[in-house]
Amino acid sequence: MSNMRVRESRHSPPLRGGTVSLHAVYRRVFRVAVGGFFVVYSVFTLIPLYLLFVRTFVSTKDATELWLWVPPAEEINMNAEFGNLAIYYNLDPQKVKKDFEIPASVYIKPSWTLARIGEEYGIPEEEIKRYFGPFVRYNGWLALLSHVQFFPSVGRTILLTAGGILGLNVLSILTGTALARLRRRYQMFVYNLYLFQTVIPIFLILVPQFVVVQWLLGLIPGYDSPGLVRQTGQLVMLVIMYAQGGALSTMIYTSFIATIPQELEDAAEIDGASRWQYMRYIQLPLMKIPVASLTVIALTQIWNNFLAPYVYLDAQNTTLLPLIQSYAGQYSTNFQAIYTGVFLSALPLVVIYLSFRRWFIRGVMAGAIKG
Amino acid sequence: MGSMSAHFPVRAPTGIARRAERKLSARERRRIVEDLVLLSPQLILFLTLTVVPFFVGIPIVLTDRSNFTDPEVNYVGMENFTRIWADPSIARDYFPAVTRTARFTLLNYVMVYLFGLTLALLMYEVGFRGRFFTIVYLPRMLSGLAVGFIAVMLFAESTGSMNLLLLKLGWIREPINIKLERGTTIALPILMGWRHAGYNMALFLTGLLSISRETIEAAIVDGATYWQRLTRVYFPQMIPSFIIATVFCLTGSFQVFDMLVALGGMVGNKAAEFVSIVFFLHAFQRNRMALGLAMSLETFLPLAVIGVSLQRLQRRLAYDV
Repeated sequence: MSNMRVRESRHSPPLRGGTVSLHAVYRRVFRVAVGGFFVVYSVFTLIPLYLLFVRTFVSTKDATELWLWVPPAEEINMNAEFGNLAIYYNLDPQKVKKDFEIPASVYIKPSWTLARIGEEYGIPEEEIKRYFGPFVRYNGWLALLSHVQFFPSVGRTILLTAGGILGLNVLSILTGTALARLRRRYQMFVYNLYLFQTVIPIFLILVPQFVVVQWLLGLIPGYDSPGLVRQTGQLVMLVIMYAQGGALSTMIYTSFIATIPQELEDAAEIDGASRWQYMRYIQLPLMKIPVASLTVIALTQIWNNFLAPYVYLDAQNTTLLPLIQSYAGQYSTNFQAIYTGVFLSALPLVVIYLSFRRWFIRGVMAGAIKG
Repeated sequence: MGSMSAHFPVRAPTGIARRAERKLSARERRRIVEDLVLLSPQLILFLTLTVVPFFVGIPIVLTDRSNFTDPEVNYVGMENFTRIWADPSIARDYFPAVTRTARFTLLNYVMVYLFGLTLALLMYEVGFRGRFFTIVYLPRMLSGLAVGFIAVMLFAESTGSMNLLLLKLGWIREPINIKLERGTTIALPILMGWRHAGYNMALFLTGLLSISRETIEAAIVDGATYWQRLTRVYFPQMIPSFIIATVFCLTGSFQVFDMLVALGGMVGNKAAEFVSIVFFLHAFQRNRMALGLAMSLETFLPLAVIGVSLQRLQRRLAYDV
């Protein structure tokens, strides 16, 4: 920049040749500095997520050291004591016995080495190494994925999310159509009622809502005994709770439908279309944008919802997040499994977010403007 | 997003418009019926699950109901409301929780501006950077539970990654222990600021974008420094955004729950016992349902009132332009 001639301010007479004003120089420096700051902040933002990924591979034994990348695989030492392995790597002795066909009544003493177990039950060394190897490396992943409730809970989470999004959109479209343009008194009353919902803290109504919901569920025949009726009832109830709508869904649809020109509706009516036909063939295809905006917001909220499943679902019928939470007991916590679970629960959302960035940004702006 | 802006509360038509409303043709009447039919599915759900509980709560809170299947429920009047002060075993849990929550909310509020406003101003001055926005907003994809576990992962006393890193770099001399109150006071607001940075940035950015450029250019021409521009031109025109941010921060901070459960709030970690946890413990775990309900009314009803007042203030200010 030393060969650039600089004029004193943007009000000085222009110089000829490759010159810029001092102001523009300041601006360029500022831009570069801010750009650099953005890069630094981006790295800072991503560090916890990267560390989370690394920590899913760090066993309890190694956890007191700082790991900035995945620890190398450790060679299984045949003289390692079984008890230590069980503690450091969260092995379940019952499962070990079952996998090696050792009778369950046998008590494997913690001080026995792996070599001794191999000798006693005729298990070749490579097989022992092959069995315990993944535990040492992929501890958290194995513990979580082999949990009997893991895949069912993921399935339930997907089901609830899809059902909730569908129900919310369908019902909110109906509500938005009925409230569009807010001309009549009852429309305004209902609209304000929904808007109230933002400032109602959930804990204010949690207890009575629980009472109401349990009473409603109790009306279903067969609910009180554990079984399919109970499980389905609870899941359906949650979907209904997600579909009930609130301030955001109502505002998005009411304001969007109001932008559809009245002439379109009048023209359809003149052509003999019923209201229902108008809604289905003309209004619905136009609503891609609000559907997308509401879907991305609801997707994050429902998938990451912890309170409702925690309160309303039985432990055998629960979704992914409460399942992960159940690993954190009062006395012993399998942190590796927890970090793996946290990582896995966030992964789908992150992938969807990165693929549909534009929809998310539009959804955020809609939510921010909503005030 | 449409030319219709949301009024709260929406006002009924007056005068001539109202008189003209009186005579409804058959067609209009049919349309109203259709509209009501369209409204009803979601409205019934909303009323049942959100409005009715308000009223159902009143008979419950005046009893000594311990849980849903309590066979012996007696009327105790207003006793549940005063028990929070009168009963030392409850006061011992409740009032420190209020202090912790209030302190957390305050620090959170600072972080909202530290993270959100700074980033929004920078974005405003240099132009929108899409990739940066994407990354900054990313932490919002995590659940509250995830953030709580990340807090443990980073700041546990002997195994926290951030602790180990900072100790190694020599930036701190002893670890920030997430299980102690001092640790949570420092670490949690920072994590919340990190998590909501994207949303707050978007919020303030929309506020900034609504400022008329003429006022800014006039200030520049008049020779105002940047600080003067900020305080005399930007901020006064951003007050609605500030109010929205305040409402969200206030209600959001008091309703933090998952994160605290992840920190062990339900299993005895006192540092993570905020009002939401104390309420939940009493209502659902310690079989004091009616008492828990009274607790939530005394804590969260004022919060709701403040939220509504601030929201009304913001609507009024936004239309004073």
